[in-house]
Amino acid sequence: MRFLTTILYLSLLAPVLVRAQLPVTLPPGAAAQFMVPQPAVDLARLGRISATAMFDPPAVRVGDTTFYRVTVGATENSTVWPEVISVPTELKLGTAIRGQVGLEDGTAFNPVTGFVYEVTPTAAGRFVISNFVISAGGQSVEIPATTLVVVESNSIAPAAVARRLWLDVSSTNLFVGQPVRVHVMLPAGPGNQIDFLSDIQFNGSGFMTDKIATRQTVEVVNHDGQQKPAYIFETVATPLTAGSLALSAQGFTAGRNFGGQITISGQGQPVVIPGGVPKSVLLSSEVVHLNVRSLPVEGELPGFTGALGMFRPDQPQLSTNRLRVGEPVHLKYGFKPRTNLTRYVPPEAPRSRDWQIIADQPPGGGFTLIPLTDEALETPAIPFSAFDFATESYYDLTIPALPVTVIGDGLPVQLPAWSSDDDNSEPRKLSALAAMPGKTVAGLKPLQLQGWFVFLQILPVPGFLALWRWDARRRFLEAHPEIIRRQKAKRDLRREKTALQQAVAAGDAGEFVRHAAAAMRIAVAPHFPADAQALVGGDVLSQLDDAGRNGTSGETVRKIFAAADAQFAATIPARADLLGLQSDVAVTLQKLEEKL
Amino acid sequence: MLCFILLARPEFSRAVEEDSFKRGVTAAQAEDFPGAAAAFESELKQRPSSGAFVDLGIVEWQRGHAGAAILAWERAAWIDPFDARAGQNLKFARSVAQVDEPELRWFEKASTWLPPNAWVWLAGVSLWLAVGMLVLPRVFRWRKSGWQQLLAALGFCVFILSVTASFGVVSRTDIGFVLKKDIPLRLTPTSGGELVSTLPAGEPVRRVKTHGNYLFVRTAMSAGWIERTQVGLINE
Repeated sequence: MRFLTTILYLSLLAPVLVRAQLPVTLPPGAAAQFMVPQPAVDLARLGRISATAMFDPPAVRVGDTTFYRVTVGATENSTVWPEVISVPTELKLGTAIRGQVGLEDGTAFNPVTGFVYEVTPTAAGRFVISNFVISAGGQSVEIPATTLVVVESNSIAPAAVARRLWLDVSSTNLFVGQPVRVHVMLPAGPGNQIDFLSDIQFNGSGFMTDKIATRQTVEVVNHDGQQKPAYIFETVATPLTAGSLALSAQGFTAGRNFGGQITISGQGQPVVIPGGVPKSVLLSSEVVHLNVRSLPVEGELPGFTGALGMFRPDQPQLSTNRLRVGEPVHLKYGFKPRTNLTRYVPPEAPRSRDWQIIADQPPGGGFTLIPLTDEALETPAIPFSAFDFATESYYDLTIPALPVTVIGDGLPVQLPAWSSDDDNSEPRKLSALAAMPGKTVAGLKPLQLQGWFVFLQILPVPGFLALWRWDARRRFLEAHPEIIRRQKAKRDLRREKTALQQAVAAGDAGEFVRHAAAAMRIAVAPHFPADAQALVGGDVLSQLDDAGRNGTSGETVRKIFAAADAQFAATIPARADLLGLQSDVAVTLQKLEEKL
Repeated sequence: MLCFILLARPEFSRAVEEDSFKRGVTAAQAEDFPGAAAAFESELKQRPSSGAFVDLGIVEWQRGHAGAAILAWERAAWIDPFDARAGQNLKFARSVAQVDEPELRWFEKASTWLPPNAWVWLAGVSLWLAVGMLVLPRVFRWRKSGWQQLLAALGFCVFILSVTASFGVVSRTDIGFVLKKDIPLRLTPTSGGELVSTLPAGEPVRRVKTHGNYLFVRTAMSAGWIERTQVGLINE
């Protein structure tokens, strides 16, 4: 527990300690202006450049990894390093790195350049990389020979183990532009000695690292099942191209430049921060491969600017919702990241017919909107979308339209008195508002252009035509009155026939005779013309042809009229046999009707 | 038929729903001109009325829309030629905006004496009155008298005048007004057509023909093609 507490304190202390390790960030020439003491450049040492070479560790098993380190006391740019160095064939050279660091011994500044090769021996033995000469700082510098002892792979492991950096990437399956957290860790050395790192670089292409937002801590980390205190440098890397990217890290170890070492004891092994002059050893990490994919084209939403990750939009706010044409209003918006690693690319100002839209300069989150017309009833919706790594899809973050009232520049409602002195006919001001709707119509389209109205206009024509027809008919009938008489006779004859049938059905011989005589008179009346009541049997007989008059019809007429006349006698004879004339009467009436 | 026509008239069938109009008046009095314009437009969509057009013109004028205001007052005068406010506002607006009145032919001027629909009713009634006065006495054998012939002659005179005025009404439906300022009048009916001139808001134009989204119009000084949406015709 105490150990963990110590580690915690150390972690809290680490940023303070490590900050002293960072280079002073002053603009060029500013150090002298601020009277910041600076070490002198060791010109004497630059005149006699030296170099060292060593294997780290100097003894390994076959197949283990060791590092061939060369340190030259010159700047990297002035050092001409051979493309290929001559090594024994049993030594397989791996990744090579190089780097420069400035060393301060308190009084002088010395540039140091390191060259490191990863070496893997393939056979046991004693192998020597012989000395060779390079050019550095304009001088010939000899790289001394160095020896590596390699024992069999099944031998007991040598005590020393090659130190190297651990590189941890939070995710290796990425999209282009997706930020990923990168940890460069330097585990504690023998005796739990913690070294810090300086001049950390990331090797590889196709990505960029954040040089500003970094964090340095000392924590206990779990690496390959080992719990070990380690110095941790944390930053964010962003892949820029799709494909398989190789990423590795390098950095120089750096001491604290204390007078002596600091030991922090606790539960478990104590952690030691070494003192003395810093030992700048160039270390590297293994290569980590990143699989980077391009963002999908399918499903891309409008307003995608490259924003990646999950965001939660804030409610957009307008500085005012009532403004005049040409008066700017500020629309403030915000998108809070819902995850740690996001890439926020703000929405771009869209084009709008009714609004001029100006995006705020970063880091401001907003737009300045200028209404161009008072017909705008709401601010323009600003399309925006982002890509979510988790669901591998785009989602909408459009800033919604907000209702506004835009007031136009009004026109004068009253003219000054002097402007129309010479013309009193022109009104000088607008009228007041109408309090009532006034005359109302169904529509502005005139009736002349509506088909139904034309139809309505010709409606009286059939009426007048009917009147004309009626008048013409009336005049015709006036000229031919017999037509009316015959029509009337036919109507009356139909009525008498009906009555005749009823009398027969009732067995009433008197009624039968009366209706039969009346029917015969009606049937012949139009031929004279005369009133039917004024006719007698002879008149009826005169309308029959000779055969009829002398035949059955004539006889029937005589009998009927005789019986009818007998009804006026003092004693009315009962002539039930007259009903037997029913068929003869019908035949006679048929003949008379045909002549109508 | 007369009863049907009378009952079918909007003012008879209209329910007492003047909320939009009242809302518009209230908003205009509170100087909420966009809100007032929206309310009046809503009212006019349901029931075009001269008062609503007069008020719409006033709020559009207050918003700086001279073209829309003049069009609204012209429509008010179209509905009710006797509305003095529409005439007064049109004169005022034209003196301020420096635009002309539309040039009317003699029969079009005559058509402005009465509401457009009145002319056509008058034509119908006068024609059939005249015909009736000639036909009915003969049909019904009324005694011939001078007043019948006088009515027939009068009817025919009114009919001829009404038909002429009705023709003027139809002719006036081609008159429109430019809605916004500096609207281009082009030589061809295309957005890139050569510019003939630019028209001020409220300028009267007369439609000659239509091609797609463009109208060929004549103004007092020139002729050319104008975008359809930039012109408000009087009877739309």
